[in-house]
Amino acid sequence: MSQKIFVISADNLGLSRDQVDYPDLELLRFPVFVGDKEYRQDEVHNAKWLLQKYANEQVVAKSSTLVKQEMVDIVERVRSSYDMIVQVVMGSGMSSASFVVAENVRKMYEGIIPIVNVDSSQVINGVGNVLLGVIDLIKSNPNLSPEEIAQKSKDVVQNTFTYFIFPDLNYLYRGGRIGKAKSLVGTIMKIIPIIGMLGDNGEGVMVPVGKGRTFKQVNTQLVELIKAKMAEKSASTIKRMNLTHFGGNDEAVAELKEMVGKLPCNDFIIGTPNLVEAVYAGPGAYCLSMSL
Amino acid sequence: MDTELKINEVEVKPHELKVSVNVKEINKRIENIHRYLNSHKEYLNRLNVFPVPDGDTGLNLTLTFQGAMASMQGMENESMLPGEYLKNFTEQMLLNSRGCSGVIFSLFAQGVAQVLENNDFSNENLHRAIANGFKNAWDGTENPREGTMLTLMREFRDIFGKYIQEEKNAAMVISKSIPYLMEVLDRTPEMLPVLKQAGVVDSGGAGFIIILQGIDRELKHNGSGFNSLSIATLLNISRTTRKLLRMRKSHVRKSSLTPLITNIDDSKIHNSRLREILQNARKVINTWNGSRKLPGQEKVISDLEEMGNLWDSDIKLKYCTEFVLEANAINSKEELREIIGHYGDSLIIVNSGNRYKVHIHTNKPDAVFADAGRYGELVFTKVDDMKKQHRNFVSDDVIEYERDKSILCIVSGSGFADILKNFGADDVLCYGKNKPSVNQLVKKIDGLKAKNVIAAADDSDILMALKYAVSLCKSNVYIVESNNPISIIAMMLGISKEFDIATMFESAMSNLNSITYCEIARSVRNVEADGFTVKKRDFFAVHNKKIIISRTNLEQLVVDVVERLNPGASLVTIYKGIPSRSDRSLLPILREKFPNLEFEEYYGGQSKFNYYISFE
Repeated sequence: MSQKIFVISADNLGLSRDQVDYPDLELLRFPVFVGDKEYRQDEVHNAKWLLQKYANEQVVAKSSTLVKQEMVDIVERVRSSYDMIVQVVMGSGMSSASFVVAENVRKMYEGIIPIVNVDSSQVINGVGNVLLGVIDLIKSNPNLSPEEIAQKSKDVVQNTFTYFIFPDLNYLYRGGRIGKAKSLVGTIMKIIPIIGMLGDNGEGVMVPVGKGRTFKQVNTQLVELIKAKMAEKSASTIKRMNLTHFGGNDEAVAELKEMVGKLPCNDFIIGTPNLVEAVYAGPGAYCLSMSL
Repeated sequence: MDTELKINEVEVKPHELKVSVNVKEINKRIENIHRYLNSHKEYLNRLNVFPVPDGDTGLNLTLTFQGAMASMQGMENESMLPGEYLKNFTEQMLLNSRGCSGVIFSLFAQGVAQVLENNDFSNENLHRAIANGFKNAWDGTENPREGTMLTLMREFRDIFGKYIQEEKNAAMVISKSIPYLMEVLDRTPEMLPVLKQAGVVDSGGAGFIIILQGIDRELKHNGSGFNSLSIATLLNISRTTRKLLRMRKSHVRKSSLTPLITNIDDSKIHNSRLREILQNARKVINTWNGSRKLPGQEKVISDLEEMGNLWDSDIKLKYCTEFVLEANAINSKEELREIIGHYGDSLIIVNSGNRYKVHIHTNKPDAVFADAGRYGELVFTKVDDMKKQHRNFVSDDVIEYERDKSILCIVSGSGFADILKNFGADDVLCYGKNKPSVNQLVKKIDGLKAKNVIAAADDSDILMALKYAVSLCKSNVYIVESNNPISIIAMMLGISKEFDIATMFESAMSNLNSITYCEIARSVRNVEADGFTVKKRDFFAVHNKKIIISRTNLEQLVVDVVERLNPGASLVTIYKGIPSRSDRSLLPILREKFPNLEFEEYYGGQSKFNYYISFE
């Protein structure tokens, strides 16, 4: 009989819960603060709600680390019914606190239930792609040991590449999530950067990988970056792509969708933006994550 | 072999390793061997005098490993038998091999893999594999010579065969073989006179031993290091000694150079020839008894000159040329040899299926590519200027490269300089009104401390100077033949340092003309050109090197230009030049006339034109 594995992640996947086809999964919700007030994603308080507030009220938003007790509560609830727990966490290079929380929980349960923490080295739909990749692994090899899952998950992480188009980097900058793309803030000339989180660079931080003056230019370049990465990795097909769009820029996103739609891909997902992602992406942003 | 590699056992028969290997783990081991080789790269480079003293044996061997390693990363999730892995890896080594040493070592590895393809790792079969490796390398080399890597390979075959009778552990045999091979390496100057004259052992042979040491380290975690003085330092010592011995005899004892030469620590000089000559020079100086003539003086001077000349040898075939050809129209290596063999020497051709990896020293790389290209597709080409490599090799002025690739832009306007820096140019030479000198260009390029540089200038008049500067500087420079600042902006927008240098250069070239633009200037006299009469002090717009509109009123001219060139664009950018620096902004009128377009205005600082206007 196959072992039972419960998966925990959070609501920063560029996916809705319905888009993850795995029953034994629970998503923690990141606390989001708009002004002094805390919100969690729900029917009303979602990405669209925050983006409208950004546009209409010039609010400042930020997010906080996952709450350890909420993670512990899930583990407590499921530990007797499952053989193992796998947690897919946002990149520790972007938020070390989230990974530390996950590690603390793992240590708490040592000897009680094995917990494998997967550092996705990604944010937004990059985390989503890593989560889906890990779930593919679990489904296709239901009896993997914790060590094997940890090892094979690293391959998933190293082959996940996400490209972000943020028309206004200030949202990212204010949230302290800008990494090496900081050099692009306050440029003399208005540019639209392409920021990458590349699973194979081992750092798990955002790096500038391209730029354009118009969305047409950045879309063209983004497709070239994808093709170059495929060539570098000798991949003839993309396993999975997720295009997540944060409203506005409809023409540019439609154009990119058409362009990447022509690439060989087994699973092309139109992602769902979430509240905590909107905090850093801001209006008009879109991002494309691919797994090779 | 007794390795610590993790393997997923499937089926084991006597002497056969029919078990799948963890590709990722083996890749890691090979990466460690590569790292070890890389740490000895400079040592190998400094030994490189045969067949051409271009100082790149270490680099070529390292790059050969790197190329194969990169190709194997794509297979990390695959499961394969050890023999299959070796076959794949050595095939990738061949396809990625660089320089004579890289190709010969890859041939050896291919020969080993051909035998081990059956996954029989018994001692007898390992010995057969090594023997086949040597045969494959020897047969594949045009004019094989003793005293080279090939000799070391043959000796390895023989000593392995001898020791394996006494010691059953193949890993131990490799370990035990190394000291013997080092003795053989020390004898290579006796076999190849050019090595003796240069005072070095064979660089390829040394590379072969270092790779074996790397393998040994991976198997048993040990090894030893090599250090030596740079060739430039050795040549300086040689020159200084000659200078000293040519002085008036009465000055020799007083010269500050005398203690310098007599006190040199021999143990620091790994070049045996120079060590020997210096010992003779010291004898000459120390035995001077006040007579007019120093006994043995002429002999020492002549030895030093001979050695200096050897390192400064005349390279007749300048370009080390390599390519990979995919050709169904060619049936054998011999057929390809017939086609291109007459272009040069050091020709090595290896093939795998319809792929041919070729190495040749020639003065006509373009002709080689053109001739070979007629029979199939050239999927990889590389040309190294060996004269330049040699000059850098023997030069004192050594650059410690700090990065792999950099971008240098050369522009007239300070505004463009700021914009381009912002766009990721590593340095910008802003030359104002006076075009940069060759010397300025060389300093800028060398100052980047980058192995590869992409250089682009905003004026075609600078190209000649830039090309000359490139011939003098240390880095490999890729010149983007741009002739205006807008095309450099287009280039910067289109390239990413995520790409390798060849792809970066390709992207730079293909993006160069991707932005439509025009120049606006004011006429200083009455002109008739391109069907237009432009009166003195009128404004005119130039697009694609032709005057397209002329107006007395600047604002009207700009409106008409935008009207004409905007189709397909969403963003219009105006770059002010020095002549219009204090003009009022054109943005209000343009925004009013073209509400559907986005406009931006920046200071470009160009001296020739009032404005550049770009349409994106």
